[in-house]
Amino acid sequence: MNKPIMTDMRSEYAKTLIQVGKDNPNVVVLGADTTDSLKTSNFGKEFPNRFFNVGIAEANLVTVSAGLAVSGKISFASTYAIFLPGRAVDQIRNNIAYPSPLGKKGLNVKLVVSHGGLSVGPDGGSHQQIEDIAIMRVIPNFRVFIPADTIAVSKLTHLMANEYGPFYMRMARSKTPLVHSTSQDFQVGKGITLRDGSDCTIVSCGITVHMALEAAEILQKEGISCRVLDMFSIKPIDNELLEKAARETGCIVTTEEHNIFAGMGSAVAESVSDSYPVPIKRIGAQDMFGESARDQEVPLLLEKHGITSFNMVKQVREIRNKKL
Amino acid sequence: MGLNYYQIKKHILRSRKLVIRATNAAASGHPGGSFSMAEILGCLFKKHLKFDPSNPQWDDRDRLVLSKGHAAPGLFSNMAVAGYFPESELDTLRKFGSKLQGHPDLKCPGVEFCGGSLGTGLSYSVGIALAGKIDSKDYRVYTIIGDGESDEGQIWEAAMTASKYNVDNLTVFLDRNFIQQDSYTEHVMPLDKKLESDDLSEMWKNTSRWKTGEKWKSFGWNVIEIDGHRVEQIDAAIKKANVTKGAPTMIISRTIKGKSLEHMEDNPQWHGKAPDSDIVPIINVELDSQFMIAPSIIAGDMTNLENEIKRCVYGRADYIHLDVMDGQFVPTKTFDHLKIKELRSLTEIPFDTHLMINEPVKHIQNYIDVGSDIITVHAEVTDESSFGEIHDVLKQNQIGVGFAINPETELPEWSYKFLSSVDQLIVMSVVPGKSGQKYIEETHSKMSRLNSILRENNFSGYIEADGGVNLENIGSVFADGSRVFVGGGAIIGQGDVRTAIREFRDEVLKSRRRILLDKANELGGSDLVNKWINLHVVGTKQEQIKKIAKETGYL
Repeated sequence: MNKPIMTDMRSEYAKTLIQVGKDNPNVVVLGADTTDSLKTSNFGKEFPNRFFNVGIAEANLVTVSAGLAVSGKISFASTYAIFLPGRAVDQIRNNIAYPSPLGKKGLNVKLVVSHGGLSVGPDGGSHQQIEDIAIMRVIPNFRVFIPADTIAVSKLTHLMANEYGPFYMRMARSKTPLVHSTSQDFQVGKGITLRDGSDCTIVSCGITVHMALEAAEILQKEGISCRVLDMFSIKPIDNELLEKAARETGCIVTTEEHNIFAGMGSAVAESVSDSYPVPIKRIGAQDMFGESARDQEVPLLLEKHGITSFNMVKQVREIRNKKL
Repeated sequence: MGLNYYQIKKHILRSRKLVIRATNAAASGHPGGSFSMAEILGCLFKKHLKFDPSNPQWDDRDRLVLSKGHAAPGLFSNMAVAGYFPESELDTLRKFGSKLQGHPDLKCPGVEFCGGSLGTGLSYSVGIALAGKIDSKDYRVYTIIGDGESDEGQIWEAAMTASKYNVDNLTVFLDRNFIQQDSYTEHVMPLDKKLESDDLSEMWKNTSRWKTGEKWKSFGWNVIEIDGHRVEQIDAAIKKANVTKGAPTMIISRTIKGKSLEHMEDNPQWHGKAPDSDIVPIINVELDSQFMIAPSIIAGDMTNLENEIKRCVYGRADYIHLDVMDGQFVPTKTFDHLKIKELRSLTEIPFDTHLMINEPVKHIQNYIDVGSDIITVHAEVTDESSFGEIHDVLKQNQIGVGFAINPETELPEWSYKFLSSVDQLIVMSVVPGKSGQKYIEETHSKMSRLNSILRENNFSGYIEADGGVNLENIGSVFADGSRVFVGGGAIIGQGDVRTAIREFRDEVLKSRRRILLDKANELGGSDLVNKWINLHVVGTKQEQIKKIAKETGYL
């Protein structure tokens, strides 16, 4: 593989917000003292009366967003992952997901966070949110995205602005390699087949998508044909695409920087067990908290949990022998 | 414009009765906190909120957010009375398939906020207020928060946010009833000052204990402190908030949990418990037996009526009764509308203007313009046509319509058709003209005659007893059906007006307790009498009620 182009999700998100803000005067943006870090403050410079920094008060952030949304606004509320699902789940549930105006499901709030997963790095375990997918995907009416690159971030931000209802989107802190083409179409509940294959499927999301592609490349050289899916839409999940992968490739490896319990891998396992059960191996945080790692050491931290392309290769080799 | 006092009171009464009906039918729910905010919601729904029950999503409506969501029965009852849905729907509260969920829910059109998880409604309201500002809308956001939920840190996050963004389109009521689920707020988590004893009345004795207003002021809010059961104070506070620019308004409303039912008042047990079916009819009689004390200032120093008003305020009078005499309809002359205009700025207490003048129809506009809240005219100087005119102009101006008859006057037949919309009937028990006369005993038998006429003609107003009412006879006057008591010499003539009014109230209360015991005995004999008595557990009420029960032979 060529050396990938690295781009910054937060910058892309902030840039896209200004576009959607221009397209739709009802878009409002809220932050909680991380608006410089997430660069959403740029939206405030463009639209000062549609931007609210509520201070270090995440519960308040969520509920003020809900109040704006019930009054016809499209609220984008953003801070770090660790401070939203991990801290304000009651407000997320009771003020955004639960209230359903007649004929609708939940309020029109988009929770978009950065600093998801272990790759947060130096800030340490206190800041490495590895539980958010578990929390968010059990709340009815929420849809949950983990984009793999800035193309996905931009397209999904447009999608959320145009589609009514509550969304959660988790971005990474560090720059991420581009894996999609700008013509790629993104739809709610539709996974993307990035590479076809017939011997095994790696289902990935976020920063692990690129690793999965690297793994498939290595496996190719061994004569193993590996399919790679970007399952950016974790809820709703693409049952059809997963069933097809199960039928056609007979085994699945999942990868994510989230606890192996109740994350994307679990969602995949639930789906496949309902449709066409095949052996599944889940790669993710090993039910342990993260820890500090300088940027150049993040691969070591991920490796400690087995979140590497080499481990994906290893797991694919092993699981092929367990096919039914 | 008048206060529309009686119409608001009637709305509140209907709502309270529905709270009892609904929680009884559901066998659970929260009557205590519904009753403490009953006057606040009544004033909002009947007078200030802009809404359209046939179009609940009307863009320009005011928004009412009930942050203390457990008081849902109170909200739903008000909405039913306001016309959002039939009152019978309250019977579905908390039941499977109902839009009236255990806590307020958007499933019910007209409800603005899904309450239940405490401490979040204020942030939500700030969001709605901000949206109103972005869209340059004129709507206001009215929010009710509880004192228990003020334990939540998010309340104070929202307080800072509202202040930062100057959301002056937000008016918040703190329903300060001093009780949360476990116990008194000042035990669980003091907002004012920790209460060392078990006596909640300590919180009322010394206003220097009250710190909550200072907290909100320090957060940059416009703070107004009121008695949250006084309609006129709520009304005035809302008006002040409406004209305040640049800051949100917090109306600290000191209230009583379970207000207007003696056994529920200040009793933490009634935070979340429903009344039993056998008790409900007694409760309804108690709710129907609210009463008002109206001192008549002409019994005081006519050269310094300003001071008499101040004494009424100090005495916590419900109304101020203003006897206007023209020297023609009655031999005496007191004052006219110009004097009332001077007095009006001294207090918000409703002015109960009693016109003892000839040709009232010619002067009525003057008395409307100077700020009367209730105006009563005499049967002896009106006829169907002139009273019809007076009736209509008073209604248009949201002023209580009063009709009076002298001791020797029977209710004229032409007046029957008005009775269903008359707010107040004054039954004179002395010959009008001067204060200090003795109560005419024949009034008792007259009252029983009147009551049947009033019932037949669907009178739903209040009877005011005027003349010679004192501590000796007030209990029997109440039992006759009067609900407003004018006190001349017996109140204003006393040195300490506050004590005199309290003694008036105590006597009425005794009479009411007797009536309620009669009701219990009638419905369920000594078992129900005992059950009723045993519900009264706070303070010395139970002992006092037992004493009455012994006197009447029920114990």
